[in-house]
Amino acid sequence: MNFKAFTAIAVCKLLRLLSRLLHRGGTAMPGRIALKICPELLGILSKDVKTVAVTGTNGKTTSARMIEEAFALADKSYFSNKSGANLISGITTEFVMNCSLSGKMRKQYAVIECDEAAARKVFGELQPQVIVVTNLFRDQLDRFGEVTHTLENIKEGILHAPNALCCLNADCSLTSSLALDVPNRIVYFGINKSAAGNNSPSDISDATHCIRCKTEYEYSYISYGHLGGFRCPKCGYCRHDAQYEAVDILEREADHSTVIMDIKGSRSLVRINLPAMYNIYNAAGAMAAVCEMGIDSETAVKALGLFKCGFGRMEQFSLGNAGAKMMLVKNPAGCDQVIDFLGNLKEKFCLVICLNDRSGDGTDISWIWDADFEALSQMGGRLQKVVVSGDRAADMKVRIKYAGIPEENVLVEKDYEKLVDFMEQQNDAVFIMPTYTAMLDLRTHIIDRCGGAEFWE
Amino acid sequence: MELKICHMYPDILNLYGDRGNVTCMVKRLQWRNIPVDVQRMPLGTGKSLNGFDLVFIGGGQDFEQQLLLDELKHGKAKEIKAAVEDGVTFLTICGGFQLLGNYYKNSQGRCMDFVGAIDMYTQGDKERLIGNYKFQCCPEAGGSVVAGFENHSGKTYLGNGVSPLGKVLKGFGNNGSDGTEGAHYKNVFGTYSHGPVLPKNPEFCDFILETALRRKYGTAQLAPLDDRAELSAHDEMCRKLD
Repeated sequence: MNFKAFTAIAVCKLLRLLSRLLHRGGTAMPGRIALKICPELLGILSKDVKTVAVTGTNGKTTSARMIEEAFALADKSYFSNKSGANLISGITTEFVMNCSLSGKMRKQYAVIECDEAAARKVFGELQPQVIVVTNLFRDQLDRFGEVTHTLENIKEGILHAPNALCCLNADCSLTSSLALDVPNRIVYFGINKSAAGNNSPSDISDATHCIRCKTEYEYSYISYGHLGGFRCPKCGYCRHDAQYEAVDILEREADHSTVIMDIKGSRSLVRINLPAMYNIYNAAGAMAAVCEMGIDSETAVKALGLFKCGFGRMEQFSLGNAGAKMMLVKNPAGCDQVIDFLGNLKEKFCLVICLNDRSGDGTDISWIWDADFEALSQMGGRLQKVVVSGDRAADMKVRIKYAGIPEENVLVEKDYEKLVDFMEQQNDAVFIMPTYTAMLDLRTHIIDRCGGAEFWE
Repeated sequence: MELKICHMYPDILNLYGDRGNVTCMVKRLQWRNIPVDVQRMPLGTGKSLNGFDLVFIGGGQDFEQQLLLDELKHGKAKEIKAAVEDGVTFLTICGGFQLLGNYYKNSQGRCMDFVGAIDMYTQGDKERLIGNYKFQCCPEAGGSVVAGFENHSGKTYLGNGVSPLGKVLKGFGNNGSDGTEGAHYKNVFGTYSHGPVLPKNPEFCDFILETALRRKYGTAQLAPLDDRAELSAHDEMCRKLD
């Protein structure tokens, strides 16, 4: 430990203390300043910690929560960046908060979710034992640029951490192409054909043509988006066999799924404590990470049945007569999965959509036209009402209109207090689809009304 | 009355909500009881542009745009050029807009030959021009104020005989320096306003539809619609940009 690192740690801890006294999160700012004082701080602190890093477009937070639950059940001494501050600054803050003033880490393990653009820098510093890449979809083009650019960022990060074992989504041709260019050991996770069923390809796919030779892929099945059994007829690049794989889906309920998972050749019945197809992928990825960290698969299975995600990811609030559920949406792929989930419900419900366009959401809201809101108009009388809110409520209203929802069933309410009033008065279940910063704001209003955890807890 | 729309390369040029424009045109025709037939023309289908009244081409990522070059070389470029000269209405956006020009030169100096239907070229740059913006269409393109979002690293420069689609009121437009936005040549409407430009610019949308109908039937007068929702989104963005 040098003097610079010592100073950085002290300043970081002090700033965090001040932030909390002022009732701020203080998740990113202290780390940012600490890195200005000592740029190599994260590398120094992470040396003695065994880290799992999770990156990718969708499912980072949920996957990290699943992995964390297994660490807790296995009685490992660990910490995580639970607040969602997943850039190098927030990750550094988290490491500092888990070390002594002299820089000695108090925990043996870390579960770190890492922004896909930040992966380039962060992986080299962290030298993770295991890296999970969940998937790659088009997302916030104004910030990340093209999806292949994001892929390059992640690749560069992995090249800086050659000793990490990588868990890659076998069904995502973009993600699994990482294996072609990095020397790391690789395991794959996915959902096989018999479990995925055969969904028709969507109009909007982020990977129709081979990343190696640009020939159009052939698919033996599609689970959703561009995920599935892809194969390039020309160069032969194809889906790799997965060592961690959902092979049958027994139940898809409103609050959970039950699947059969093949874990390195042996099969387990797994209850996943969150609904929807995309969480089956998250579960398979988490299973891979946990097992590859040396924790037994029984513990991992148990963790998937028990973990709670919260923080806007299928988070339940006791609001209104039938409760409210918040489902964060950030991009078309994730949004379509949420709409698909709503389509599989049996009950009547109200839908609240909160669209913001701040930097945390992506300033470009064009993506709402790629998401399949048309499917809402097929839900008949089950969809009672749609309320649009957020900074760009007016644009969302237009989207819903062109999706074929009668205008008289659509309400605009930009005032969050009144919006919470509205939700409180509903007899039917309320589902809330907010973008990231809308989720933070609206969640605060809901928690004031009916309780829940602060975002950093 | 009927309108036949061709959605060119929906499989690869579909970046960020482009298809919202097709949805919008279809709905606005249907709401007026004008039959509309949309046909997708993915890469490599070899279908002809004959018989279409309106052609839509969206934007793509660099990876996808490269896929197209081969097809253009093998006859498609000629066909598009002929349709443009023939007065077919085109709406082309971002990458699709650049595509109708002579060439694209990237920041490393590599040059890609494009369709050459409009005398203009695009120069790649490191810096991206990103953000909400607005422009006023020139009178020949309807004169309406359009609110949109741009995100491009290519800077487009128009040849002498080509008029811009409009004048930038706020934002960057074609190149961030000469105040022009898009191109309006024959019945081609080319713009950098990517993704769903039409839904919250109903006046612009109707002008394009009328252009196509007028060419086919001599006259076209679209009945007014209840555009309160659309105009409220439009006005809100315009105010934000002031």
